[in-house]
Amino acid sequence: MLISLNWLKSGLETDHISDEELVKLIGARLVEVEDVIDQTHKYDKIYVVEVKYCEKIPDTHLTLCKINDNVAADNVERDENGYIQVMCGAPNVHEGMFAAWIAPGAIVPQTFGTDEPFKIGMRKMLKKYDSYGMLAGLDELDFGDDHSGIVELDPEIAKPGRTLSETFNNLNDKILDIENKSLTHRPDTFGILGFRREVAGILGQKHESEDWYLEPTQKFENSSDIKLDIEIDKELCPRYTAIVFDSKGDTEKKYLDYDTTILARSGMRSVNKIVDATNLTMLAFGQPLHAFDYDKFVKVGGSEKPKIIVRAAKKGEKLELLDGSTVELNSDDIVITSNDVPVALAGAMGGANTAIDEKTKRIILESATFSLYNLRKTQMAHGIFSEAITRFTKGQPAGQTKAVALRFADITSEYLEPLALFDSQEEEPEPIKVELNLSQINNLLGTEFLSSDVKTILENVEFEVEVDENDNISVVVPFWRTDIHIPEDIIEEVGRLSGYDNIKPVLPLHATSDPNPMLQLKTHIRDHLAACGANEVLTYSFVHGDLMKKVGQNLDNSYKIINSISPELQFIRQSIVPSLLDKAYGNLRAGHDKFALFEMNQVYPRANGVDEDGVPQNSYNLGFIFVDKDSKSNYYLAKKYLENLLSNLGVKYQIKEFDSADKSLNDYYEPKRSASIYSDGQKLGDLGEIKQKVLREFKLGQGIAAFELDLKAILSNISATTSKDFRVSQYPFVSRDVTLSVPLATEYGSLERQIRAIFESENYIYKLACTSIYRADGADTKNISFHLDFANPSKTLEKAEINAIMTKVESIK
Amino acid sequence: MPAISVIYGKIIYVMSTVAELKAELKLLNAEYAKIKDVPAEKRADFGKQLNHKKQAIMQKIADAEAAAENDSVEALDITAPCDINGKQPEFLTADFGSKHPLMSEFDRVIAIYQSMGFDIMESRQLDDEFHMFDSLNFAKGHPARDGYDTFRTEEGFIPPAHTSTMQHRVLKAYKYKLDEGKAIAVAVPGRVYRNEDVDTTHEHTFYQCEGVYVSETCTLGNMLGILREFFEKYYGQKLNIKTQPGYFPFTEPSLEFLIEKPKALGGKGGDWLEMLGCGMIHPNVLKMAGIDPVKYQGFAWGGGIDRLVMLRYGLTDVRYFESAKLDFLKEFTC
Repeated sequence: MLISLNWLKSGLETDHISDEELVKLIGARLVEVEDVIDQTHKYDKIYVVEVKYCEKIPDTHLTLCKINDNVAADNVERDENGYIQVMCGAPNVHEGMFAAWIAPGAIVPQTFGTDEPFKIGMRKMLKKYDSYGMLAGLDELDFGDDHSGIVELDPEIAKPGRTLSETFNNLNDKILDIENKSLTHRPDTFGILGFRREVAGILGQKHESEDWYLEPTQKFENSSDIKLDIEIDKELCPRYTAIVFDSKGDTEKKYLDYDTTILARSGMRSVNKIVDATNLTMLAFGQPLHAFDYDKFVKVGGSEKPKIIVRAAKKGEKLELLDGSTVELNSDDIVITSNDVPVALAGAMGGANTAIDEKTKRIILESATFSLYNLRKTQMAHGIFSEAITRFTKGQPAGQTKAVALRFADITSEYLEPLALFDSQEEEPEPIKVELNLSQINNLLGTEFLSSDVKTILENVEFEVEVDENDNISVVVPFWRTDIHIPEDIIEEVGRLSGYDNIKPVLPLHATSDPNPMLQLKTHIRDHLAACGANEVLTYSFVHGDLMKKVGQNLDNSYKIINSISPELQFIRQSIVPSLLDKAYGNLRAGHDKFALFEMNQVYPRANGVDEDGVPQNSYNLGFIFVDKDSKSNYYLAKKYLENLLSNLGVKYQIKEFDSADKSLNDYYEPKRSASIYSDGQKLGDLGEIKQKVLREFKLGQGIAAFELDLKAILSNISATTSKDFRVSQYPFVSRDVTLSVPLATEYGSLERQIRAIFESENYIYKLACTSIYRADGADTKNISFHLDFANPSKTLEKAEINAIMTKVESIK
Repeated sequence: MPAISVIYGKIIYVMSTVAELKAELKLLNAEYAKIKDVPAEKRADFGKQLNHKKQAIMQKIADAEAAAENDSVEALDITAPCDINGKQPEFLTADFGSKHPLMSEFDRVIAIYQSMGFDIMESRQLDDEFHMFDSLNFAKGHPARDGYDTFRTEEGFIPPAHTSTMQHRVLKAYKYKLDEGKAIAVAVPGRVYRNEDVDTTHEHTFYQCEGVYVSETCTLGNMLGILREFFEKYYGQKLNIKTQPGYFPFTEPSLEFLIEKPKALGGKGGDWLEMLGCGMIHPNVLKMAGIDPVKYQGFAWGGGIDRLVMLRYGLTDVRYFESAKLDFLKEFTC
């Protein structure tokens, strides 16, 4: 929303405060001001002039003109009468008219503030005519788009030599660009009146709305010739006021007027007297208006008793709109009908069947308010975004429809004669009253207001406030504050208008907190894996269906986004590793030959079901991949990362045959080169090399290995540290190397288990490391070498004991 | 080497099957030429039959090739520490390793809140209309819902657009603290989503941290105190703060919270950074979570984490965060 600062300030006492400070206060206490567009010098050196002489140049579109600027401009050549020569291409230039003249040295307003401001000077035209400055059209003055001619000024107000700015009550203006979103709940501020009231409150000034607004009175008698009934559905249309007018002559604008300039500064364009009046009324009071052709309206309804019926549209009902398009309505739309025949899509646009045209004699002016929820759906369904619907979707107060309609009648009295007023509401409803105590205000804000402070703050913006001796505050809410219902709403007003920044920040005593085990676990893993040379990544929770197909995941096991940005982001992922595989190729291409990626994130396979709140159950997963361009087998690398991590976390685990029971999640692992990890029978995850077929899909070479762990399962298997793991021997360690020769098919793990069992049965302190696994060319056995360090915690080991235990170890098969 | 020769035998067998199948396919392809001899009305059927056969053979070829590939895969000893005759595996150089800057920031933010006595609850990544809107006092169909540009699943679940989606859960889960005479003080970091086109300053996936504080006596002044303390700890210096009125259906009053750009970020005074939205929790939100809004009051806030990281490192393109590009990540090595 654009607001002219000049318009806003009229009626306020602002001499003591700079514009900059005022804008700052508005920002701090009312609404975010996105931008201040400085137009202070936009209309510099633009004068009102009288065209004294015109001479058409044959065979051109140009007219040589002499203008009288009352010697206002300098640096120009003047003739003996003091007139200045300017060439004009507009067909409507004529002697005796008053025009707007952009003097040499001035910037053409249309280009003001753009990257290429156009500064006008003296131009030589047709090689021989000097032309000083320019007689301006509506577009050049940036008041409209019309380029058909130059603007003409009303002789009543035009004084040659006066600046255009003075003539129109100061065009040296600043325009505030307001962030509408932060006023979603304040329909009253979508008009200058309401906005100005707030600014008054912020400045500590008492704002007083005029009587016509607070207590509207109809000054004309309803004509008996005009029949109109109103029937509304109060849910959809809380109030509908209509005035029927008779037009009195021409509604086209001959002269440039103040209203055109203010419309332009508010981002709108002048059309004709009636449309301009409706738009200005909307800008001033936030109440959109619409005009129907009364006679067409009656005819469309086809009844002796014309009746405005506001109702929900019927699904499939069609309506041709003013702009020529035909919309198919649905039951969330609201329609204005003439005896049940739709004539307008409420709040959005009028129908073609009742449009005003040059033959229109009588009009119906609509001043109404509609359900913002329905209009929001209308806005979305039909893609209609206008100044009017922007206001309607904030929920305009029903209390002002009649006042604004009557105001419109006042403004337009020169060319519209009111015949009759009809209103769906006969009596104003009781205003809302909110009761609270001063202590509630101070307790919530942390302030020390007195009741009298509160009273002043609220009365400044026209709340009626009564305070008793116990500081009970009773507030009558004005009808335009449809957002205020509860004491907290009043507290917000007090805090905001007096300035939150005046509230002293006070730190409360700290509570005590408990650690979050899952977050601690993730921090631990993050630190650990990064220290082992791996890189933590984040990838999207949303994946392409093709990605899941590549890794053999079932699309039905993923939640599907219905309004995704692109197919690449259509499904919620079931596991992390596929996303990591997807990121490997780019990194290889970028020249990274060997790397490990990991990510910890939530995943939501549909098979998880829902939790006690009925929302999808999440898993916290750790995904890891190891990529080495020069190695075709990386299972043992990934395994080393995994085992080292689990030991570091204190998780007892077992590596077992790959579990292919639920292929929907892990079908991308090569089963012959993969394993599953368990702790006490609970599965922690899978580990292994990725299938060739899958890697080809990702343009990746052989042997990439990965693991994915369920962090909730990890968390439940982290054992409290046992003292047994940290025994220290007072007696010397013995070191021995041993090589066991076993059949190829014998699992390494079984050997290691047996060795451990031997030492544990003796209760020795020991360390075990595999130093090599060797197989001679063609042999059907393999030799596995271990390095062993061991000690007896209670005495020095003797040779016989050492030999005995080594014999046991060597006999392992 | 009996084991190996068996495998070789199998491969040869499979290979010959593939060759046979391919020959069969070739013959079948030749059949298509005969379609011109088939009466017009039977051509469709004829074609259909051929296609059917062709598909069956193609599937067989694919299966056979997959089986061949599968058979060629050598099983390994999953329990061993290394390959037969292979080297012992070694970790990558520690210098290469890195934590994701967003996650480091996460940890940093969490640590500060914990030092200030806040419990931590991580936000969900898939939620519902009730938690995202209804429980936060958004009227049904209210235009304020539009501002969140939410994604939706077929079932109507919502990848949440703000961490406030956790407020109701936080209030319910920690209500016991109020009964114990303590305050609810919880920070909720998490990943959130908005249906937005991606450019240098917009991501559809980003991170926020929510704060919720409830007690019998806490005030808006306390909220400003806590927020200022958080940012002073975060930037390691005293800070000037200011506010702007805001609008959120779940807080009343609602504010935007700003800090004067800290020296650490090159601030020279006079520049303000919008850090988060905040306000006093709306009584309806407390009521819906079973907390008596007459007895208790609270405040809540939520702000972006991505922005903190961008400011910290002077990053100008938000798209790096979810790119998993090592060239970017290695700037953050440990």
